[in-house]
Order: sequence, then structure tokens, then C-alpha cells
Amino acid sequence: MLFWQMAWRNVWRHRRRSLLTVLTIALGLAFNILMRGIGDGFHEQMVDNSVRAQIGHIEIHRSGYQHDPALLKTLPDVQLLERVVPQTPHLRGYSFRVLGDGLASTAENSAGVSIVGIVPQAERSVTTIGRAVIAGRFLDEGMSRPILIGERLSQSLGARLNDKVVLMVQAADGSMGAQLFRVAGIFRSGSPELDRGVVYLLRKDAQSLFSLAGGTTEAALLLESSESVAEAQRFLSTQLAGAPVEILPWYVVEPFLRQFIELDDAFFYIIVLILFIVISVGILNTVMMSVFERVREFGVMMALGTRPRQVVRLVVQEAAVLALMGAALGALLGSVSLIVFAHTGIDLSRYAAGASALGITTTVIHPELTSRNLIFSDLSVVAVVLLVAFYPAFKAARLRPVEAIRNI
Amino acid sequence: MALIELIDVSKTYRDHVSVRALTALNLTVEKGEFAAAVGPSGSGKTTLLNLIGAIDTPDTGIIRVAGLEITSTPADQLAEFRLRRLGFVFQSFNLFPVLSVLENLEFVPALQGVPKPERVRRAERLLEAVGMHELRDKRPDELSGGQQQRVAVLRAILPEPDLILADEPTANLDSENAALLLDMMERLNRELAVTFLFSTHDPAVMRRARRLIRLRDGRLIGDEMQEP
Amino acid sequence: MKYALALAVLVLFSPGAMVRADGPDALTIARKCDAALKGKTEHGTASMTVRTPEWQRTLEMTFWYDYPEKTIIRITAPAKDAGTGTLRLGSNMWTYLPSVERVIKIPPSLMLQSWMGSDFTNDDLVKESSLPTDYTHRIEAETTEDGDPCYRLVATPKPNAPVVWGKLVLLIRKADSLPRREEFYDDQGALQKTLYFDNIRRTGSRNYPMRWRMVSQNKPGHETTLTFSSLEFDKPMPANTFTRQNLERRF
Repeated sequence: MLFWQMAWRNVWRHRRRSLLTVLTIALGLAFNILMRGIGDGFHEQMVDNSVRAQIGHIEIHRSGYQHDPALLKTLPDVQLLERVVPQTPHLRGYSFRVLGDGLASTAENSAGVSIVGIVPQAERSVTTIGRAVIAGRFLDEGMSRPILIGERLSQSLGARLNDKVVLMVQAADGSMGAQLFRVAGIFRSGSPELDRGVVYLLRKDAQSLFSLAGGTTEAALLLESSESVAEAQRFLSTQLAGAPVEILPWYVVEPFLRQFIELDDAFFYIIVLILFIVISVGILNTVMMSVFERVREFGVMMALGTRPRQVVRLVVQEAAVLALMGAALGALLGSVSLIVFAHTGIDLSRYAAGASALGITTTVIHPELTSRNLIFSDLSVVAVVLLVAFYPAFKAARLRPVEAIRNI
Repeated sequence: MALIELIDVSKTYRDHVSVRALTALNLTVEKGEFAAAVGPSGSGKTTLLNLIGAIDTPDTGIIRVAGLEITSTPADQLAEFRLRRLGFVFQSFNLFPVLSVLENLEFVPALQGVPKPERVRRAERLLEAVGMHELRDKRPDELSGGQQQRVAVLRAILPEPDLILADEPTANLDSENAALLLDMMERLNRELAVTFLFSTHDPAVMRRARRLIRLRDGRLIGDEMQEP
Repeated sequence: MKYALALAVLVLFSPGAMVRADGPDALTIARKCDAALKGKTEHGTASMTVRTPEWQRTLEMTFWYDYPEKTIIRITAPAKDAGTGTLRLGSNMWTYLPSVERVIKIPPSLMLQSWMGSDFTNDDLVKESSLPTDYTHRIEAETTEDGDPCYRLVATPKPNAPVVWGKLVLLIRKADSLPRREEFYDDQGALQKTLYFDNIRRTGSRNYPMRWRMVSQNKPGHETTLTFSSLEFDKPMPANTFTRQNLERRF
């Protein structure tokens, strides 16, 4: 206990130096927390955008569909699915869709498209496509053979509202299916892929076009957040055990997104590492100076009977005082700045062009402050400081009292 | 059995030149003595005290202190030995600047594991006994040189060691404070039967000792009892 | 004597004497094969049966070719598909869909899509590319199959040729330069599909394989058989044959 008192008071022997060190630690930590919070918020947003644009948090298909999509690979055990899916924990919405592809043509032009047959109400509960309609309306069961196309497709086909579009597909029985649809709405999703290559039909129309007789291709589920995915997946796997289905979380459906996030995280860790090195150098300097200034004192201590390991303890405790103060201050600064930014949001609309290439559709980021971020950052800073302090501590402990005492 | 025994002890320092600090020294000191090692600077006084105090080791010879043959004891056990059996007073910078007088006194008992209330009680009693209780909460930089040295002696004695070693304790003090210091040391030696071995080249201090151990160039050239 | 020896050496080592180089011989064989399969014009009827592990369908069709620029194919049966047709003029291609009464243009990007669900692609049917002009040729070997002496011809696409294949290997009969089979390899050298020619009959003034069977290697269980029921060569084509109006005309 006396040692802690000594450690604390030793720190304040050089008030300015200690405050500077504490400040260095605090700023480094605050920066770490802020960047991590922004990064996490950014990533969560990217996932959310992607998930809400098209893929949902979890997709269920017949086994083998993801690897080798085919029209005939429709969902099996539909009754079982319709019973189990709504009971998924943390569920916000679900949609059973038909997926296929074909050729969309107008008098002016033709283009290969992906065709998604949806039930509008259900689809709204999963994706934001309904809100992306910029002309006309979203699909409605009351319409007759409506088609919803993206802005870019509308431009390349020259198809405007109420124009007719022919969809030509290869149906499930191998025959050519072709039907006429009317453009009910045009959407702008922000994703060039969607806007150029995906069209939406009423599910019953898609089933008729593809001669699918009531079959559906995929069930897409939206959950409360990406944190809920693991639990939902476990539930579905258990409930659907034995059925020939594949239950795919978003990062399997779109691995690129997760890879991007992991790469981004890797860059972040490199920056943090550099930051820690800089802080460590500062700490090392401070602690070494304080040890060299007190060589004689250590000599007296050891003459009086202090063990070398107790000397190490003392030096490390002093560093710990600095570290803890720095950690507390840094945590405070970091949290406050994150909360402020979370409230106001960070506007990235200047970088919108590059962002849309990555599939990011909203340009305002709301960083999040997680306890995980805070705790991890704090602990790592404190650990680094203590580790760094061991070097001068050991040097102090290895002093020979008789030489140290001569050192005035 | 003598408290201190040196048999054929030699020590050479190897800095840039080899200096023979002590050569073939033989010495015994009994319990309760109030002895001074005297001689010009470089005569080996400090070396002698360091060797007896187990903070340095001789090149040859055997040293026994308080029953322990310290020359054949490993270093980590020597720390424990010093903690329990010895006390040190240095020429200057004895006290820990961040601790108060009371806390400085608490230091060694704390290392020994004495619980806080007990060690505070002992320290306060000692301060009262010598009439220095009002200095209790002062920091060393608030004390005069003489007061600091006296507190250093109190710190050395509080854990009731067998032996206190003081290397030129009055070197930085004026004659009045030097006298006060010697008064305290003498009193403690008498009342608590703690052995004192100190070094000095000050004749006034020499006169206060009951035994003079004379050194020159690392050799014992004289060893006499005297009336202080 | 020395003069004759020198002459013999010259002749032996002259390019014309090399059978295995990409010389006139390989190209000639390729030309002959191409000419054996195509007239200047063609008109005929055929039935096409598509087999997959899941289903099987048969179409009846009638077609006209005016090489190298024009093609028109109309489906005559079954009723569901009757009237559907494909027209090519130069590098443009259209399909007519009677169910929606629309002619739609097929963009070049879809040339590799299967024609009507078969193992023949749009490109295969309209035959925009030509074996002699778009490839360089090499005789790899001379073999005999079922008593039929053949050349094994390897055709590699020229740099800017409008072909998707990495190489073609044809087994060509020496007797009449008709192919026995054609193997289609992708850019990585993997065999994608094989076209078997058999049922050789005398048609007009030439021999012709009346049955073509395309077997897919990359989709197991998929194959398409084209059986010609009638075939005429080098008859003059009526003026309006290769037009969009003709494509939409009712039967």
C-alpha cells in the first residue's frame, strides 16, 4: 500500500512531464476510440445497406442453389418453411421470392436482366426497394402484369412509365416463355447493378412466366441487426434439420462485403499499431528519465532491504498510474466525441461517387459507441504502457546498491 | 560471539585503474559498541562499511555479521538480512522525498510486513521519545540538514536492528547539528543497546566514539578504545 | 547424278512437301469441309430434340441460309412455339415472339445464350463465323474411324475473329471432306461440347450428314439432336426471304 502511495506521489514530482504523458496517452486512446467507432458505424451501415437493398440478413434456398442456380431448384417443404420462418428470433420481416433471368426488350433495345418475383407487402418488410421508386408506383397486387425497372435500365431500353416491355425467358420445362409487361414504376436504388440489371414482377406473374406452378426460389429474412444473425441461423438450422435447404447468412451470399470490412479493419489495426509505437516511445522516455533521476534513491531502498522485484513493482506501478489516468481521460474524450458524432452524423456526400461503387447508398454515417470498443481500447493502451515500463523497471532492479549510492 | 568478524578481507576496485581499497583486514566488533572507522579519504572506511553492510562483497576473506557468514550468502538472501538486522545512515539524501517523516520511518517496518496501525504507533512513539513529533507530517525538503540526518537515524533504529552503519553522517552538517546527531546516536546506543559503527574524518566526531579503528591506504594501522 | 540428287533434296525440303505444317493442305481441307457443309444458299426443314435430365422437347422448324450474311429460321411445331423465329442480317439478330407479337433484338452479348433452350447457341445457328476465314489450321494426325480414313484438323481462332472458342478440333473424312465430329474447346483448353455428324445421305448432288448431335460436356445429361428431313442447296432465294416482315408473317 505504501508502494502505491509512493508511486502516485512519484508521478507528481514532475507535474508537467506527467501531465504531458497522461495527455499523450489520452489523446492516443481517444483517437483510437473515435476511429474505431466511426469504422464500426461505417461497416454496420454498409452491411445494413446491402442487406436492405436486396439480400436480407439470411437467405434460404434449396440446397445447392447458391453454388449453381437453376430455375428448377425451387424451395422444398414450403409448408414447413412458412411455419418456421415467421418464428425466427429477432425477425423484422421475410419475403418468399421467385428468381430467374431472361431478356427484357423494347422496340429500341434489349438487355439481359435478373427477374425477381415478389409479393409487394412482404418485400417491403425486408428491402427498401419500395422506397427507391422515383417515378410511378411500387408493385401492387391489383395491377395487371406490372414490371418495376431500374433507372438505368429504363434509359437503356427507352422504357418509360406505362411502356410495354417484353420478357423472354427459358421456362422451367425448357420451353420459351415470353410475356408482355407494363412499366408500373422506375426505381433508383443507388446501386448501379440493381438499377441496370434487375426487374421486379408480381410473384404470381413470375411463376406464370417461368411455368413454375406455385414454386418459389428463395426466402429472404430481415433481422433486427447483424448481431442477431448467429442466433437466427441456429434456430433455422435446428427447425429445418433434415430438409434439403441451405441457410445462408449475408456474408456467404455477398462475401465481398465482409472481406472489404475485414480489409478495412486490417488497415485500422496497422494505424493503431503505429499509434501505439509512438505512444510507447513517449512512455518509455518518461519512465526511463524518472528511473535515471532516482538511481541513488533506488540504491538507498535496496540497501534498506528492498528486493529487486519490489523495485520493478514500484516503477511499473508509477507507469500504471500514468496509464490509468491516461486511459480514463482518453476514454472520456473518445466517448464524448463519438456521442457527439453519433448525434450529428458524419456527412460523406462529397465522396458519394466512390461510395456508390462500393454499394453504399446512404452518405451520412452515424458512428456507434460500443462497450466492446471502449473496453478493448482501454485495456490495450494500459497493457502497452505497462509492457513498455518493464524495460526501465528491470534496469532499475538490476542496480547494485553500492554503485547506485555513489551516484549522486 | 562477536557481532562483526572480518577475517583476511581484501577488496580491489577496478575502474580505469585498480585501487586496492582494503588489504588483508582482520577485525572484530562486539555487540553494543560505539565505534568509529577513521582515516583520510581513500583509506577504505566507506568500503569497510559497505562490506559489513552486505551491500558489497570482498574479493577474499570471510565476513560474519550477527551470526551470518555474509560472504557465502546469496545476494537475494542478503536483502532480507539487511532488512531485518541492519540499519543504514548515509552522508546525504537518506530520506525518500515523496514520503513524510512518519512515512519514511514506516518504510522498513512496512517492508518487514508490520501492519499499518502498529507501525504508525511505533513511529509516533519514537518521534515523541526524541521530541521530534511536530515534524511528523513534514516532507524532507521542509527539514534542515540536521533534522534530516536525525530522522535518518530514527528510521535506521526503528526496526530494532542489531547494527547501524553510518557513513560520514555529519559530513554535510555544521558543528552544532553534528553534535546533536552524535547525541542522538549515543543515547540510542546506550538505551537500546544497538551497536553503532560510523565513519568520519572529523576530529570532533572522532572524540565522541568509544573505539577508534584507524585505517590508512586500506590497512588497519590502529585500533584503540577511548573515553569519549 | 549430283544434279539429280540436288534436285531431289530441293524437292524434299520444299514447303509444299511438308504435310504437317499450316500450309495450303490444312487450309484446303478446312475449305473443303466448310464447302461440304454449306451451299451458297440452303433451304430445308428439320426437327430438333432437346434432352436434359429434367425434360425433353422436340421442335419442328424450317430455315433458309444465304451465306455468309443472311439466315432465317421459323419454328413450325409444337403449337405453343409455332411462329417463333430468328433472323440474322450481317451482325444483327432478331427474334420474333408470336405470344406477344413482338420482334426483339438480340444484343451481341447474348450470342452465346442457348437457342430455344438447346445446346446450340444463337451463334451456332446463325453461323456468323466461318471456319476457313476466322481460323488458322493444322493437321494434327491422320486416323481411321469405323473404317473411315480421316484428318484430324485443329483450328485456332485468329486474333480478332468473332469466336468464343479457344480451339476447334474436327475429324474430317478424307473421302468427301464431311466432318464426323467437331470438338469445341474453351480458352483454358477444356472441352465444352462435341458435335457428332452421322446419317450421311445423298441429297441433291452432294453427301450430307442428316443428323447432327450436340452433346454438352460441361452440363452432363444435356444433348440436342438436329435431324434434317428435307434439304436443298444453291436454289435462288426469293427476294423477301430475309426480312423482318417475313419473320412476322403468319404461317
